[in-house]
Amino acid sequence: MKKFMTVGALAMLMGGTAMAETIGVSVARFDDNGLTIMRNGMTEHVETLDGVELIMEDAQDDVARQLDQINNFIASGVDAIIVNAVDTNATEAMSQAAASAGVPMVYVNRQPINMDTLPEGQAFVASNEIESGTLKAFEICKNLRAAGKSGGATAYMLMGQLSNQAAVQRSKDVEDVLGMDMCNFITLIDSQTANWSRDQAQDLMTNWLASGEPFDAVFANNDEMAIGAIQAMKSAGISMDEVQVGGVDATPDALVAMQAGDMDVTVFQDLAGQGAGSIDTAIKLANGDDVDKTVFIPFKLVTPDNVSEFIQ
Amino acid sequence: MADATQGTGGLTFDTKKRAWPNELNIFFALILIIFAFEAAGQLLPYMNGQSFLFDTRDRFDTIFNEARLRIIILQVAIIGIIALGVTQVIISGGIDLSSGPLVGATAMIVMSFAQTELVNGGPNPKAVFGPWAFDLPVIIPLLVGLSFGALIGAINGTLIAYTKIPPFIATLGMFLICRGIAQAWTRGQPVSFPTESYALIGKGMMPVYLFFALAILFHFILKHTVYGKHTYAIGSNEDAARMSGINVQRHKVLVYMIASMLAAFAAIVLSSKNLTAQSGMGIFYELYAIAMAVIGGVSLTGGRGSIIGTVLGAMVFGVIQSGFTYIKLDAFYQLMAMGAIIIGAVVLDKVRQERAALRS
Repeated sequence: MKKFMTVGALAMLMGGTAMAETIGVSVARFDDNGLTIMRNGMTEHVETLDGVELIMEDAQDDVARQLDQINNFIASGVDAIIVNAVDTNATEAMSQAAASAGVPMVYVNRQPINMDTLPEGQAFVASNEIESGTLKAFEICKNLRAAGKSGGATAYMLMGQLSNQAAVQRSKDVEDVLGMDMCNFITLIDSQTANWSRDQAQDLMTNWLASGEPFDAVFANNDEMAIGAIQAMKSAGISMDEVQVGGVDATPDALVAMQAGDMDVTVFQDLAGQGAGSIDTAIKLANGDDVDKTVFIPFKLVTPDNVSEFIQ
Repeated sequence: MADATQGTGGLTFDTKKRAWPNELNIFFALILIIFAFEAAGQLLPYMNGQSFLFDTRDRFDTIFNEARLRIIILQVAIIGIIALGVTQVIISGGIDLSSGPLVGATAMIVMSFAQTELVNGGPNPKAVFGPWAFDLPVIIPLLVGLSFGALIGAINGTLIAYTKIPPFIATLGMFLICRGIAQAWTRGQPVSFPTESYALIGKGMMPVYLFFALAILFHFILKHTVYGKHTYAIGSNEDAARMSGINVQRHKVLVYMIASMLAAFAAIVLSSKNLTAQSGMGIFYELYAIAMAVIGGVSLTGGRGSIIGTVLGAMVFGVIQSGFTYIKLDAFYQLMAMGAIIIGAVVLDKVRQERAALRS
């Protein structure tokens, strides 16, 4: 943190007429892997900007602590606040605190509960969940067409926990894509839940294989289930060249499976991009520019062609 | 037993009044459920007359759909291994809720000692420890896992036997502790990419062979060793067992240790089968293991039940799970149907028990 303050101070000295801006950031947890990628995205982006200073705080998964941090930011006169909410149900109070002090606020990655009633000068930066399932399903549809299966193809779908919004959304996205004129040659034989788990996906896929119905593709709500399905198909002696398998998340395990030629499609949530996007949005709000209430950072499609870019 | 006058204390023992072995009833229930799915395949219009167990697509040499037979057992083999331990705990009059989270914790720890250095020619992206922990001989993760299981079991058993905490509470506490260990070990990150030799433990049908081998072993131990007789004795009447000279406390510790070591072994097989360990592994396993034992006729009041029953209970689970996928039952209704079948099976067993008691 010290480093950024120094950078900020230096920039202030050297920037001359450029106005220095201070942004307070409260992140739900510093030790969360995904959020760390987002946090690093913020700091790296700030280093490329002139005269922007970040004050980064760890809310340690504590709602009360996070609200205190926001009030502290307001008291120390920051130009904008970025919040990665600990609990998205507790954002109302944060929005009010910032709005009544007239400090612009940006929610990042986790959608605030008061999204519909966000006060003036507040916005939400994240990826649009609808894209993840859609990108994956459409890519598999294209691949099946390219393989000359547009006369009719069949597929299975592995769903995440049925009580989980992302699972329901990603499944619906696949169904929507399969409803499009271009892709309606694909019929879903069956959709079942494997609760995000590789193990359950393995067993479920083996059960499907037991029925002996031919199929061309497997859609999975996440990479873990896609890998489980791949393991089941491989131990049943199915050639992975014959089947299109798609997941979501671009986990290291999935990227390795893709390198090995087993997995065909996955989708990467650009967390570093969300971090950088939240900084840009905060600066725009601080400058009084017009900003959309929701700023979407696109998901990235990962295929064997570009998989090497995603492997660290 | 052919002689009708056999019995203890001069009591006559009438073989005609002897009830069927309980296991036979579970076996019939299993057949009944299979028949129900087979009928559903014929009756449901969208099934196109497919068969559940038989090879209607001419894919195998035998008349059976061998792939179906394999998955029915494969998908319950790992929880089945846990159920073997849970069976012993319940027969001794206890309960073990910690086995599911123990699977998660053990998998995480064991996999950290089973990682390989190179993945697709690149460095392992999931390495937990430094280079010293790469490509260790497979015996090391095995020993680490079983020792961890033994430790957790010893703590469970000691708490229950010596401080007299109810087993439900002691193992509920351990449930939370183990899930915590699983999550804290790598702060929620999965551990993947094991060595080739480690990957062999759960490859293909290995989980089934291991399950059956352990089932035979513990069937023998429970029926024909002092350990087994003491386990039944303590579960039937703890005070009587103590007065007849059994060291009840020491024996309980042993039972919980064996149960936790079986759960730890299940974790090893599971992580090997999946080539990964995740902190969320084993969720609901403790409940499914208990349900398998109970469906198999193990009495929660202790003293009654058998390994054969539990194995059949596990197969009932396998048939139901496979059957649901076979008839393409809507995913949103499967849990309800599963719950209803579990309750139904136990109610049937209870009715039968009471009838048998009335007859004699």
